[in-house]
Amino acid sequence: MDTQATSVLNRIIRRIPNKNIENLLKKWSCLSADQLRALDYTRPKWMIVEHVISFCEENRLNLKHITTLEMIYHIENPDQGTWHACQLAEAQDDAVCVELTQFKEQFKAHLHGVIRHISIKMKKHEDEAIWIRIAWGDNFSKPNHLKPTYVVHHLHTSYVFISNLMAKHKIFLCPALVIATKHGSIKDGHLSTRSLTAMRDLPLRRYQQVFPNAHSRIPQERNTLSSHPCIGKEHGDHEEMRHQMSCEAFGHSPSPKLETAVYRLETRYRGKGNQTLSDRKEFFRGVVRFSSSSLLDSLRHCVASGMAEGPVTPLLSAITQRGRNYFVITDKGPGVSSQASAQRP
Amino acid sequence: QIFFLLFFWLGVFLFIMEGRGSAVNTPASRPLTRRSKSYGRSCVEAPSYFWQTPGHLTVLKVPTSRGAAKSQLITNKVDPEHIALLVKNEWKLSYVTPLHHFRHTQLKSYSRHLAAFIAAEKQQGVAVEVGLEAGFKVTFTAVLGLAETDEDAETVFIQIQSKPAFAAAADAPKVVWRGWLTCVNGDPEYLRSLPSDFVSLPLFCTSGSESLTTLVKTWLERAFDCNFGSLALNSTTLNWLAALWTGCHPTCNIRHLKLAWSLPTQPPLDVSYTVNPQDAWELWNSIHPEESTDDKIDIKEVQSFINGLETHFFRHFKIYLSAGTLVKVSTALGSAHLDGKIKIGNSDYITTLLTLLTESALLKMPT
Repeated sequence: MDTQATSVLNRIIRRIPNKNIENLLKKWSCLSADQLRALDYTRPKWMIVEHVISFCEENRLNLKHITTLEMIYHIENPDQGTWHACQLAEAQDDAVCVELTQFKEQFKAHLHGVIRHISIKMKKHEDEAIWIRIAWGDNFSKPNHLKPTYVVHHLHTSYVFISNLMAKHKIFLCPALVIATKHGSIKDGHLSTRSLTAMRDLPLRRYQQVFPNAHSRIPQERNTLSSHPCIGKEHGDHEEMRHQMSCEAFGHSPSPKLETAVYRLETRYRGKGNQTLSDRKEFFRGVVRFSSSSLLDSLRHCVASGMAEGPVTPLLSAITQRGRNYFVITDKGPGVSSQASAQRP
Repeated sequence: QIFFLLFFWLGVFLFIMEGRGSAVNTPASRPLTRRSKSYGRSCVEAPSYFWQTPGHLTVLKVPTSRGAAKSQLITNKVDPEHIALLVKNEWKLSYVTPLHHFRHTQLKSYSRHLAAFIAAEKQQGVAVEVGLEAGFKVTFTAVLGLAETDEDAETVFIQIQSKPAFAAAADAPKVVWRGWLTCVNGDPEYLRSLPSDFVSLPLFCTSGSESLTTLVKTWLERAFDCNFGSLALNSTTLNWLAALWTGCHPTCNIRHLKLAWSLPTQPPLDVSYTVNPQDAWELWNSIHPEESTDDKIDIKEVQSFINGLETHFFRHFKIYLSAGTLVKVSTALGSAHLDGKIKIGNSDYITTLLTLLTESALLKMPT
């Protein structure tokens, strides 16, 4: 096995806790049952790595097999690194008919056509997601397997999720995706998170959404043990309404685990009482960043508890409605209303 | 004995009376014994059978107005090498009560004693530092020039370096801990009221491992009969810093005004608002014009500034930032965190920051 293969293997095994290594190697099914039994996972990592390397050499495994292992690792642990969403646009008429084999062929053919040295691996996961691993080289040097790009796409949806893509490779990847999916263009989805699951669930609406409904109300998860028959809640209606509003805007728990939302504000100053500043034509520029271990849960609690005033402003509900977490907010025009609109730059 | 009781109850009565009158201006976070308006010295002089630190019955004022931040080429007053020690590090803040029999002339002797103390504690098994250090070298330096008024004592800087066991002669010892005691523009009445054998250096800034900080504090407590406590900043101080630093923008590019709030949602939500420096300055200037002849900035103007930013935020996001806490303020001139952590970015405005912090330290000291 060459040095690249051993480096990649080393990195994978170092990343995962010892107790998970066995499962990963089993899924890989490149080592025999005896070899798997012989590995002692209580040993220090460097020992385990050495053992695995020696078994790989015994079995005459090469870089190809190691990259398969890396892919399996990423598929099993998708919530690592930072994922960015891109959105395909201008679907052609036969975009819905694109089959998996067709997609694979077109994608590989395009990339092989523009770069001499490139290594592409594709795998279809059970949840219908296509995982693509790309190790980039160029016309002169071999592919670098230590910095692969990962792409995840669900066929027939308009979203593509990308991790670890360098700017210089973007110009190759984007046309390949556009051609293979039979669309006209691709653009930035303005959504980035660490969790691929959240990234997929949000724009594809795979979470418990709540729709405005005059009749049914979402039951609150409050414990009603504290209520006494003689105690009436003065603001019970208001609380229910706020709770309903918050769920409509941000979905019901559990929500996709977003961590941040960033708003670039380029609107006129709207602080109170300050005439000289409010008359200014220039914008009051700033950047607002919301962060939390689970942003949607925090925002929902904010609205439900009254820390945010209802109705929920479109700036915040746009996170779920439009499936993005980066916005540039500008005033609509000279006749500006009190609410600014969220615009795609 | 009757006279004693009489005076005692008279004093208590006066305390209660003064407290009621100034309830409006007292910040909510302060304990009730503090007042925002000084009604002069309390009538009861400090007899020796009261247990407080001498001089403490003088009422400390919380200023409702202060001068604008003035830039000064601090390097004219202070050795640039000393300045370099203070800038760019993150410091954890504590307050310390006045030091008894502290002499700026005895710094070398203090260095030796502290080094010996640390070595002795380490031998006793107190965990100090992981490694093969043979010993520690302690240096006390006087940083002259930071003190502003005649009552301020000169700043003292303490540095601890480790000497590895098998070091070659050429190996530079590694600095493992730094700290400094300072007093900048301390309340002159209070400082004058201290007995002559006490030195007040109420602000203590430390950077390094917790275990070493505790050791240094223990030694100082034993040597100078003083008490330490952690100094958390309050949002009024942070508001002042936001306004004062923004006001410096014309003379020194602050690069940005970044305010960070924490909202008590589940899970907690952090909101950070980074304002363009020119726009922040224009907002500040519209509240407190630069050309105004009165050099004093009033707390109401500061509150108006922060409210303006919070309202602009509210108009967009409909979230009440006042439901949360302002946790951190930062500009290119420095940053200050509610937990009592600061960073000094630019030495030109260091006096402003240290004045505010000295004041906070003096106010936080226990009665």
